[in-house]
Amino acid sequence: MTPRPLFFRKAGNQLLNLFALLSISTALGGMGWILYTVLQHGTPVLSWDFLTSPSKPYGEPGAGVANALLGTLLMTLGATLLAVPPALAGGIYLAEFGKNSKLADTLRFCANVLMGLPSILVGLFVYALLVATTGQFSGFAGTVALAIIMFPVIMRTTEDMLLMVPDTLRESALALGMTRMRATLSIVARSARNGLATGILLSLARVSGETAPLLFTALFADTWPGGFFSEPTASAPVLITEYTTNSPFESMHAMGWGTALVMALFILIINIATRFIFHENKH
Amino acid sequence: MKTNIKISTRNLNFHYGKHQALFDNNLDIYANQITAVIGPSGCGKSTHLRIYNRIFELYRNQKATGEVRLDGKNILAPDVDLLKLRHRVGMIFQKPTPFPMSIADNVAYPLKLHYKLSRSEIDDRIEEALRGASLWDEVKDKLKSSGLALSGGQQQRLCIARALAAEPEVLLMDEPTSAIDPVATLRIEELILELKKKFTIVIVTHNMQQAARISDRTAFFYKGRIVEVDDTTRIFTNPSNKQTEDYITGRFG
Amino acid sequence: MHQSDTIFRTICLAGAMLALLLTAGILIQLCIHSSEAWQHFGISFLWSSEWDPGMDAYGALPHILGTLLTTGLALLLSIPLAFAVALLLTEAPDWLNRPLSQCVDLLAAIPSVIYGMWGLFVLVPLMQNHVQPFLNKTLGLANLPGGSWLLGEDGYSSGFGFLTAGVILALMVLPYMSAVMRDVFRMTPPMLRESAYGLGCTRLEVTRDVVARYGIRGIISGIFIGMGRALGETMAVLFVIGNLMESPAGLFSCGTTIAATLANNFAEATGLQQSALFALGLILLLMSFGMQILTRYYLTRTGARRGENN
Repeated sequence: MTPRPLFFRKAGNQLLNLFALLSISTALGGMGWILYTVLQHGTPVLSWDFLTSPSKPYGEPGAGVANALLGTLLMTLGATLLAVPPALAGGIYLAEFGKNSKLADTLRFCANVLMGLPSILVGLFVYALLVATTGQFSGFAGTVALAIIMFPVIMRTTEDMLLMVPDTLRESALALGMTRMRATLSIVARSARNGLATGILLSLARVSGETAPLLFTALFADTWPGGFFSEPTASAPVLITEYTTNSPFESMHAMGWGTALVMALFILIINIATRFIFHENKH
Repeated sequence: MKTNIKISTRNLNFHYGKHQALFDNNLDIYANQITAVIGPSGCGKSTHLRIYNRIFELYRNQKATGEVRLDGKNILAPDVDLLKLRHRVGMIFQKPTPFPMSIADNVAYPLKLHYKLSRSEIDDRIEEALRGASLWDEVKDKLKSSGLALSGGQQQRLCIARALAAEPEVLLMDEPTSAIDPVATLRIEELILELKKKFTIVIVTHNMQQAARISDRTAFFYKGRIVEVDDTTRIFTNPSNKQTEDYITGRFG
Repeated sequence: MHQSDTIFRTICLAGAMLALLLTAGILIQLCIHSSEAWQHFGISFLWSSEWDPGMDAYGALPHILGTLLTTGLALLLSIPLAFAVALLLTEAPDWLNRPLSQCVDLLAAIPSVIYGMWGLFVLVPLMQNHVQPFLNKTLGLANLPGGSWLLGEDGYSSGFGFLTAGVILALMVLPYMSAVMRDVFRMTPPMLRESAYGLGCTRLEVTRDVVARYGIRGIISGIFIGMGRALGETMAVLFVIGNLMESPAGLFSCGTTIAATLANNFAEATGLQQSALFALGLILLLMSFGMQILTRYYLTRTGARRGENN
């Protein structure tokens, strides 16, 4: 028998090692580069005025992005309020009543489909549902779009978290004579509450950066969010879009970077906060 | 004839991080014999075995010092080629570990790894290895089906066949029957007895009857030290050490 | 059952039914609003390349091809990278692994609009001034057969285009895919890895022949997840694709994708154009649906096969 030369096998292995190192450098380098660019261009813009004044058309002095930040905050919180109750209920259904049931399987599949759905299609849907029928772009329409994106994520997270609660806990609660409702709400959901909070916070962070579904629902406006249900409402990600691709002016680009920095910080803080909550959970 | 020393261990110490697991182990393994390694769980018998093919090096913070000479050459030396060493020293684990591929491919895998062979040569050697592991008659009609589809005992014999295919000199067996039912265990024991004609075998076992049934020599480990090594018959009938006697007679462990 | 439990169960079911309602609602709305375009253009909408609001003539082909090309490029670039990153994350020591894993997770949380912005201001000039000239002149790829198609006829590039979009998308899906693959690699039983190393395998051989085979289902679903994201990603592509309503004419040519077209034109569109845009949305929805169903089919099929075997 002729042995295969070890040289080529080892060379192949070294190539793999080299490639793995290159890949992780690319991934981290790319991330570092993006964050660095955001910091580099964003920090000079940050100021009290920038964070507290509303945006203005090009050329007017004293412009900020406060209306967009407030709009994003309102829409994100509104979406959370809209999405969380039905999503929790749905998650409870899937976890507590939906084992081995065809209906639950279908619903689970639908939730997965929704999670994988391009977010711009949610924008189209809400446009058809709320904007075309009322003839009004509005912050509320944007809120609904974000809620639709949040809903399946929280529903599936809830299911996963509840399934992690051991069955013995359920049984012992029921054995005490509790109703299914009390057992679920007060025992099962309570022991999964840190996981649920994490899931909600993470999806909140995610939708706060969503742009595509707002483009033709909330649109954009150079004003404070006034008529939330009847007027176009500014948001941070749409402001970035407006100020960068759709604008030739350097000063507006700079404001776009500043907004990106604020958003990135917000998301970073939420991510760190969730990690903290989750760690507390373990101890 | 049987005094040919295949593996000779001298002053072997082993650390998991700061914790020392083996203390000054000295042990000779004779060629074409079955050496059984026994002792209570946690005594370091598996740890000792896992040094012979340096598989412990997959994990950080594990360190062996001393000498393990395979045919007179220290395998712990830094210039030893791990791929060649592991080609010469095969290993069977506590649980069957068939690869997620067909039965034939499982056996062909180490062949293709180490040798340049034609299709027909590979086929011949697959059959040879499967016969060697007394599995051929059971699987010859389903060589293309998945190795995972076999029963536990068959899977373990498949793993033995896979280890045989590359023609190692030494076979290390780390409690090879601990996850297998008694009937299948007897078949594997018969197989191991057959295999010692061609290979040098070291088997770690927590089953003293098994050690008594199949091994020529037995080493008794306790708390990382080798308490006694001797012919199996002697260890089980007339041990010279009190601790060995207590363990054999079931007073502890 | 206790009466309050019946009510509780019904409320929960209502919440869960929302998933079905939304899925069906989106499908139905897109069908209704695109019906005008389908009636007007018929099925040939799918392979017509026109996009002329003046003539009210619309076709989907450039958008579909653009979507497929950017997704394909993104996968081509990101799959090997994700595989290697996942491998390194699995085998790296703990002190290195935790910060690296967290970085990768964080990377996945950055909003796509920031990726797009970075692409516009950093990557586009880079592609224009360095990458394209490098491929074209230094490597001389333009002189090879087909090279001019790949790199542009006249050797000039604006920096916008399909390759730039592909690179951005690849960077975006990389953290998702590598996180999924990392979890898969971690599930390989240690003994299986040991027995492969025990036969004298190198790390490459263990990974390729045992770990990857063992986790093939997870790897494929990781790829599908990345593909789904690349398919529907709007903002990152919108900023760098060049927004030209034409079929791809090379890696450095400008073009569009379904999502980018929607984002650019929908707010101002009316009448037949709006309906045509809804039709594009329907096509994207069906592509996304198709992928999900394919994934599920693949997983249940291989799952059944594995189940039999165990």
